[in-house]
Amino acid sequence: MASDPAKQLERNARLMQLLARTALKDQAAFAELYRAASPHLYAVALRILRDAAAAEETLQESFVNVWHHAGSYVASRSQPLTWLTSIVRNRCLDQLRRREVDTVTMDDEDEGVTIAAEGPTPLELLLAGADARAVQGCVDALEAGQKQAIALAFFQGLSHSELARNLRQPLGTVKSWVRRGLERLRGCLDRAGVTR
Amino acid sequence: MNLSDPERADAIAGEYVLGTLRGLARTRFERLVRTERRLADAVRSWEERLVPLAEGIPPLDPPLRVWTAILARIQSAAATSRAPASPRIGVGWWRGLALASVAVAFALAVALFQTASERTQGTIVIVLAGQDAKPALLVSAERSSRYLSLKPLAPLAVANDRALELWLLPDKGNPRSLGLVSTAAPAGIARITLPATADQALQNIPALAVSLEPKGGSPTGLPTGPVLYSGPVQRLY
Repeated sequence: MASDPAKQLERNARLMQLLARTALKDQAAFAELYRAASPHLYAVALRILRDAAAAEETLQESFVNVWHHAGSYVASRSQPLTWLTSIVRNRCLDQLRRREVDTVTMDDEDEGVTIAAEGPTPLELLLAGADARAVQGCVDALEAGQKQAIALAFFQGLSHSELARNLRQPLGTVKSWVRRGLERLRGCLDRAGVTR
Repeated sequence: MNLSDPERADAIAGEYVLGTLRGLARTRFERLVRTERRLADAVRSWEERLVPLAEGIPPLDPPLRVWTAILARIQSAAATSRAPASPRIGVGWWRGLALASVAVAFALAVALFQTASERTQGTIVIVLAGQDAKPALLVSAERSSRYLSLKPLAPLAVANDRALELWLLPDKGNPRSLGLVSTAAPAGIARITLPATADQALQNIPALAVSLEPKGGSPTGLPTGPVLYSGPVQRLY
C-alpha cells in the first residue's frame, strides 16, 4: 500500500471515516472500505493460510465481523489498517490452531511447512514492510537468525517448532531468536516513534 | 504463564501479536486481554509496532464471490432482525449452485430456443437461478445484437420501494450494472440495451447476477443488496 507518509495519512483518514460510517450501517461506506482494504487483507491471509479457499473464508468472516463491530474501532484507538489487519491475522492464527488440533494425532514427522515458492520470500517482505514504514534501520539491526525467524513467524504464521524444523535449528535457539529479536525491535521501533 | 511481571507480560504480548504464542497459551492469553486493560494496551502497542510491517506484502484482489457472500450475509442479518422468517443466503450458495439444476435449466433454455426456430448458431443464453437453484430468469441475445432479452421464468415480485438490478460479473474487477429488470409485466419479454454487441459486451463475463436494490437501482454503482439470482453465460456457438 501507500509508502509515502502523506499518502498514508490521507488513506488512514479516509479509512477512519469509512469505519465510522460503517458503524452507522452505511453500506456504501462499507463497500468502499472493502474495495480499499480487501486486496491487502486478502494477501495477508493468503500468506499465512497458504490456501485460497481458507483465505477467502477468513476475509469474509472478518468483514462480516467488521460490519457488526465497526463501532468498537473507535474505542481501540488504533490505526485503521492496523486494526483491520489484526482482525484478519488473529482469525488466520485461530485457523492454524484448529489445523494443529486436527492433525495432532497424525504422525508428526520431519515434514517442514511448505514455504510459498512464488513471489517474495518472508524476509524480502519484512524488508519491504520496513521500507514502506521507514524503519529499515530497526530490521537491519536484527541478527540474521532473528530476522529469519521473525519474518517466517509473522508472514507465514510459523510456530516455534515449525521454525525450528524450517531453519534446522534446535527449538531453544529459535525461541531465543524470536524473543531477543522482538526485544530489539521493540526498543528500536519505540525510539522511531511507531507507538503512541 | 506468569503475567505478574510486566516485562514478561509484554514479551508474551509480543509473541501473541507475532503469532508464535500458540495453543492453549494463546487462548488463555486472549481471555485475559479481554478483561485486563494493561494487557490490552500491551497488545495494541505490539500491533502498532509489527502489523504495519505487513504492508510490504503485494496486495491481491480477492475473487468477487467473497464480496457477494459478505453482502448476502449482512443483508440477511439485517433482514432477519426485521423479519425472522427471511432466508439466510449462506456462504456456499454461489459456489454450490447445484450443477444438476443448472444443467436442467440450460436444457430448458436450449429447448425454448429450438422450438422458437431461431438460429441457435449465434445465441448467448444465461439462465439465472435463485438460491433454491430454480430457474427464475432467462436472459438471451443474438451475438451480434445490441440488446438482451429478459424473460421471467417465475414471478419476480418485489416490494414497491425495491428494484431488481442486473449485473455483469467480470473475471476480474467489480460487477457492472446492466440496468433494472422490469417486474411489471411478468409474462412479457423485456429488453436491456447493451453498450456494444452482445458478443463484445459479454466477453470475459463468466456470469450474470440480479441483486435486490432500492427503487431506482444501486446508489453506489455496486450491488448493495442480496444477490437473488445468478447464472453462467453460455454461448451456443
